[in-house]
Amino acid sequence: MQCSKCGNPKVIIKKEQSGQYLCKDCFIDSIEKKVIKTVRKEKLLDKGDKVLVALSGGKDSVTTLEILNTFRELNIIDLCAVTVDEGIANYREEGVDIAVRHAERLGIEHKVVSLKDEYGITLDEIMQRENHKGSCTYCGVFRRTIINKAAREMGATKIATGHNLDDEVQSIMMNYLEGNTDNLTKLGAKTESKAEEFTVKIKPLREIPEREIGLYVVAKDLEVHFNGCPYAMQSFRGEVSEVVNQLSEKHPTIKYSTLRGYDKIKNVLKKEMQKEYAHGRCSRCGEPSANDLCKACSFLEELGV
Amino acid sequence: MSFLLKYKNINEKRELPNNEYTIKELLDELELSAQTIVSKQNGELVIEDTVIEEDDEIQLVQIIYGG
Repeated sequence: MQCSKCGNPKVIIKKEQSGQYLCKDCFIDSIEKKVIKTVRKEKLLDKGDKVLVALSGGKDSVTTLEILNTFRELNIIDLCAVTVDEGIANYREEGVDIAVRHAERLGIEHKVVSLKDEYGITLDEIMQRENHKGSCTYCGVFRRTIINKAAREMGATKIATGHNLDDEVQSIMMNYLEGNTDNLTKLGAKTESKAEEFTVKIKPLREIPEREIGLYVVAKDLEVHFNGCPYAMQSFRGEVSEVVNQLSEKHPTIKYSTLRGYDKIKNVLKKEMQKEYAHGRCSRCGEPSANDLCKACSFLEELGV
Repeated sequence: MSFLLKYKNINEKRELPNNEYTIKELLDELELSAQTIVSKQNGELVIEDTVIEEDDEIQLVQIIYGG
């Protein structure tokens, strides 16, 4: 057994989809080249962009920051980061500390925004309410609002998130299985909203399997927060993930083919199915919203804060 | 014939059942999925087909959490 590229006998991965064996250096190189290829192919970056990385301190966002930093070192883009502290005791603190250390190491502008400071309530406090809608519902909406706001405040032209191949395939399958054609039109490597206030979002890791991102951070000795969210539960996403992973054992290319198939029909989907939303402002916070209140503010009203 | 297993809070000596015992077999015994774990043998990353030798230190790192 030896590295299929350089012959090194110390292999760290057997790629089931290609049968290729790779040593540590060739594996790291292959991941970085693949991300750079996605960036070029999908035209994710423009010279002079200021990219805001949504940095949780987990493996996906740290890898996104690390690889985008190569574009910063070449003076192609500028980088900054935002970390959202949802207020989850004994969980989020470590991720926030790690995010701070990465931003300091690279010398980039970084901001930590807590739900407590922004909305006066933590996720832990929300979850103590009897009529709550489930942690992920609030977390997703509040986090998205905070990241969009931070992008405007920091003058970012793009927002980079750490979505990987597994995340993207799960989203494609979930929306298809639920018949949610509207959400299905919104996926992809680059998502743009017609509302100017929403910054363009990019997913540079979209073609990298989740396990390979985990292996990349361990191989590169990058400090990351490996831990499960205490509110994570058996969700529909979890069930879809299990089925896709099971299928991948006998059909190792299935995640890639699902992504490719989606990419082929995406433009037709967008043309035929994309809904037009009214471009108004939230009457409470002034953020862009299709309704009188944006999603974040309607939750806050329900919670009485 | 034994090896040292390190995984989360576990730090224990385990017996080697045979001469061809692989990390994959260890993961199966611990009911862990190779999809969520990366393995180190004496501090170096290895693939799951690797045979565990006497006195090896095997460290398992969970890289994917459900949710």
